[in-house]
Amino acid sequence: MSPILQGIITIIIGVGGCVGYFFLSNLILDTLIYPARGKNIASNIRRANMVRPWLFLFPAIFALSLYLVYPVIGSFLRSLYNRSGNEFIGLQNYVELFASPEFRTAFLNNILWALVVPAGATAFGLLAAQLTDRLSWGNIAKSLIFMPMAISFVGASLIWKFVYAYDADIGLINAIRAGLFGSEPVDVMQIPFWNNFFLMFILVWIQTGFAMVILSAALRGIPEETIEAAIIDGANPFQIFFKIKVPQIMGTIVVVWTTITILVLKVFDIVYTMTGGNFGTEILPSYMMSFMFRDDGRATAIAFVIMLVVLPVMVWNIRQARAEQR
Amino acid sequence: MTYRLYATAAVIALAGGVAGAQDLKFPVGERDFTWDSYESFAAEHDYSGETLTLSGPWTGADKALVDSVLAYFAQATGANVTYSGSDSFENDFVIAAQANTPTDIAIFPQPGLAADMAARGYLVPLGEDTAEWVKENYAAGESWVDLGTFAGEDGSEAIYGFFYKVDLKSLVWFAPEAFEENGYEVPETMEDLKALSDQIVADGGTPWCIGLGSGAATGWPATDWVEDLLLRTQPPEVYDGWVSNEIKFDDERIVAAIEEFGEFALNGDYVNGGTEAVASTDFRDSPGGLFTFPPECYMHRQASFIPTFFPEGTVMGEDADFFYFPAYESKDLGKPVLGAGTLFAIANDKEVAHGLIDFLQTTIAHEIWMAQSGFLTPLKAANPDIYATDTLRGQGEILTNATTFRFDGSDLMPGEIGAGAFWTGMVDYTTGKDAATVAADIQARWDQID
Amino acid sequence: MDNIAGQKTGLAWATHISVLLLVLIWLIPTVGLLISSFRDRDQISASGWWEAPFAVELTARGRTSAEAVPEGGGFVITGNIFDDEEAASYFGASPGAVVAFGTRGAAPTEFEAGTVADLGDGESLSINPDGTYRWVTPEEPGSRGQRVYFAANSPPKFTLDNYRTVLAADNMDRAFINTLTVTIPATVIPILVAAFAAYALAWMEFPGRGLLIAAVVGLLVVPLQLALVPMLNFHNAIGVGQSFVGIWFAHTAFGMPLAVYLLRNYMIGLPRDIIECAKVDGATDFQVFTRIVLPLSFPALAAFAIFQFLWTWNDLLVAKVFLPSSDEAKVMTVKIADDLLGSRGGDWGILATAAFVSIAVPLVVFFTMQRFLVRGLLAGSVK
Repeated sequence: MSPILQGIITIIIGVGGCVGYFFLSNLILDTLIYPARGKNIASNIRRANMVRPWLFLFPAIFALSLYLVYPVIGSFLRSLYNRSGNEFIGLQNYVELFASPEFRTAFLNNILWALVVPAGATAFGLLAAQLTDRLSWGNIAKSLIFMPMAISFVGASLIWKFVYAYDADIGLINAIRAGLFGSEPVDVMQIPFWNNFFLMFILVWIQTGFAMVILSAALRGIPEETIEAAIIDGANPFQIFFKIKVPQIMGTIVVVWTTITILVLKVFDIVYTMTGGNFGTEILPSYMMSFMFRDDGRATAIAFVIMLVVLPVMVWNIRQARAEQR
Repeated sequence: MTYRLYATAAVIALAGGVAGAQDLKFPVGERDFTWDSYESFAAEHDYSGETLTLSGPWTGADKALVDSVLAYFAQATGANVTYSGSDSFENDFVIAAQANTPTDIAIFPQPGLAADMAARGYLVPLGEDTAEWVKENYAAGESWVDLGTFAGEDGSEAIYGFFYKVDLKSLVWFAPEAFEENGYEVPETMEDLKALSDQIVADGGTPWCIGLGSGAATGWPATDWVEDLLLRTQPPEVYDGWVSNEIKFDDERIVAAIEEFGEFALNGDYVNGGTEAVASTDFRDSPGGLFTFPPECYMHRQASFIPTFFPEGTVMGEDADFFYFPAYESKDLGKPVLGAGTLFAIANDKEVAHGLIDFLQTTIAHEIWMAQSGFLTPLKAANPDIYATDTLRGQGEILTNATTFRFDGSDLMPGEIGAGAFWTGMVDYTTGKDAATVAADIQARWDQID
Repeated sequence: MDNIAGQKTGLAWATHISVLLLVLIWLIPTVGLLISSFRDRDQISASGWWEAPFAVELTARGRTSAEAVPEGGGFVITGNIFDDEEAASYFGASPGAVVAFGTRGAAPTEFEAGTVADLGDGESLSINPDGTYRWVTPEEPGSRGQRVYFAANSPPKFTLDNYRTVLAADNMDRAFINTLTVTIPATVIPILVAAFAAYALAWMEFPGRGLLIAAVVGLLVVPLQLALVPMLNFHNAIGVGQSFVGIWFAHTAFGMPLAVYLLRNYMIGLPRDIIECAKVDGATDFQVFTRIVLPLSFPALAAFAIFQFLWTWNDLLVAKVFLPSSDEAKVMTVKIADDLLGSRGGDWGILATAAFVSIAVPLVVFFTMQRFLVRGLLAGSVK
């Protein structure tokens, strides 16, 4: 049997299984457990409708609690134990982490990432959205800026190696420096502190398209009257943009900003492939990789610190969602 | 539903394991290989219809080479053998072992991880016979047995790892023609080597190519330098104490060895591209400098595997050659040699897996790879004439002439040090931190382990 | 008035130029990768991809022939340096003009092409731009000719060799199929599961709904690394181990918060009357969902499908943990990262090609499905 055929069969079984679950469970509920006939018809329908949401929700809740809720709790407990997991040591792992200079570098870098990348991507996205708004070839420009979204982090890192490479015959930056100023090549990955920003720019490059698309739609949603009124009052284009447009799409800007923040804290691939965390560019998710499967107590403690960094964003997100419902 | 899916996956897994029989590289009976060992092995072992899976760190050309050896095992026994290689074999195997889906045989690039796996009960002892055989048949057999002997889950020691394929690390590669044109001689002592380096600088050239880049493993080539230099500045007992941390990492003798490395790597005149290029040049790119015109550098210290990364068409012995990374004449420490090796271990207690270990004890299993490339063996019975090149034969000689043989220390240290803190520490050192601080940082990390 | 009009065109120009600049910055790195993937290894290391259309000056080495003709008390050897096998190997079929030459590796371009170089001891050598040389020596040369180093222009050379190497790598076809086997169910299953859940959260009344929504939003931010170790252990315990089934489960669950969040946001924006009319007409929730809500939610479904497809296709970490590391089960990203880059890490052409191969399918999907992605995303995040 060819592998393609096997693939197709497994896909059919997997997808068929899912459809089958929803269809059959509803069928059983409606015909066997609470049939919509007989003398209890009214209460049966009512009861069936009370159960049904949970039928619909069950697979999703099951998957979420098993793969996300349980690990969060389990990891927290694990982080209170020593490296082999047989001795309870309280918060010792956390204490040792914060005492280690490497961890502090990673922690501070991570906070820098969480601030700079969303800010950069949103700013570039807003700029691109505004500039392409009334442009004849705006759609083509947008598609091209949006394109990096499709590229994997590892792929993107390789792409940027052709920009950052030390060898002036490969790295664009050093070639430009050599061509324009005749200067010696520098390894941008080794410039203390600023190398972090070169790495961050890769993620900004990937995420700008996302910010642009959403902000561009938000800009179009602004009522024309407000802008016309401003023009009549003699406002220049910059004033219109900053005083009229931006405040009106503030809500969307915040959504974009948080979405990117969440993403930033999960990405380890870029640092991992570009510098391996050397030269003071370590961030928490990639620092965690150096402990995974060796010292799980330490690794889960780091993961938990990542959670804590995202916590403000998460709380804000939940409050936002609840506010919407009211 | 789960059950059905699982069954289907099992079908896939089974069907996936079928690999076509491979042609044998050297027809049985040809050339002066020890074919008797093959014939007698084939007569005694039959695993028709059984499958054997292996995983290891060899990819690309190396994978083709190991496949060519395994083909003989498959041919002799009728077993179905598949090998898969991965650049991150260490992580993959740990995950697979925890998932209870390890391959039957694991090929470890270093003993550290194998010892860890044995202690966690994921490996099967090879048996006393194997230990005896290694002791008898390998040059310095006792030390190979020791390196492959670990404590199991219950704490009792047994041999778990069988060494097959040895790498030599104390080598300096150069282009003979470039040496010839400039009238440079191959140095016999460390003093001469340093004098030669200065001579090259005086002639307007750059003596060394050093590249530490290796993705997430960036920094490891420097650990070899430090180990080699430690063996050349201190007696082997210091080396052994350092590896087991009885001598602390920030001991002044260790710091001195790191600084010794700095004399090469941190000397802007000595290294191609200046000191900044050391940490950023990929170790695979680094030897390329030997073969440019004008040469970007004249010497490159690296293990015996490096010719794989020489430019295509480089003829060994003609375009490129090597010499022993010499010892100090003034220190009277003999001729120390640093090396490494891969070890085979059994993860699933299958008869066919033990059969493979038996096969590796046949002379022919060594000769097949010897006759191709990149393979050294401590097996005394193997016919040195079979080595495909003079280069390999020469390396075999260095291996047997060594007064001191020591295994790559970073491979023997705990993973967090030898495959972590030591690497990053060396990168820090080449990018400006001083040796004492770096050594103290590494020791601090080591102190946290227990 | 003139003044304002002038300002306007000026501003329009500024806009055009800034957008162009932005697009260029965003595009150049990828273009560089694409061009590099078609270049020859020697050329990549000799000149940047931006110089690809121009000839590259390569420094090469060769040897003159040793067939000497006696002449005036000495010997003369003539020929063409490109006839030498070693010299020709640098340039392929169409060598360019020789620029300079020398006889020592340390100074390979000591003499300009066409000039006569005095090598001392009465020896002299000249190489012309077309490669013909004339070596005069007082003594009869032995079996080997004179070693010659020279720099010559090599015309731009584009090749598919890199693609052949990458695509012909062992089991690459298998890895491609594996990626599809992982990607397609891992895209379709979460959509189905999430769509039902999203419908329940959007249009069904039940206690605890608000809490559940909050929980889903909260789970959006959980770092997935947390789940790797415990979930692998769990898969072992239930007998799934490292397998395709395991990775489908994992991807399904990891994509779930975003799926539920996006789809619910979209569904809640559907017109209330249609759904309520249908319910009044006696349709069950199951019918309302499959006949009305699902078709209407198509843009959001498509958007999430594209997202999840890109995510699973590009994923490296989950695949490494939840799939066996044998060649039979490797997906493309793992194959490229662990197998190809490990053995060919120093070869920039191979690196570029590998990267391009891995992003080609996502790019095609992306450009063909972009409309849906944009529409669905907007529905999900803009109120």
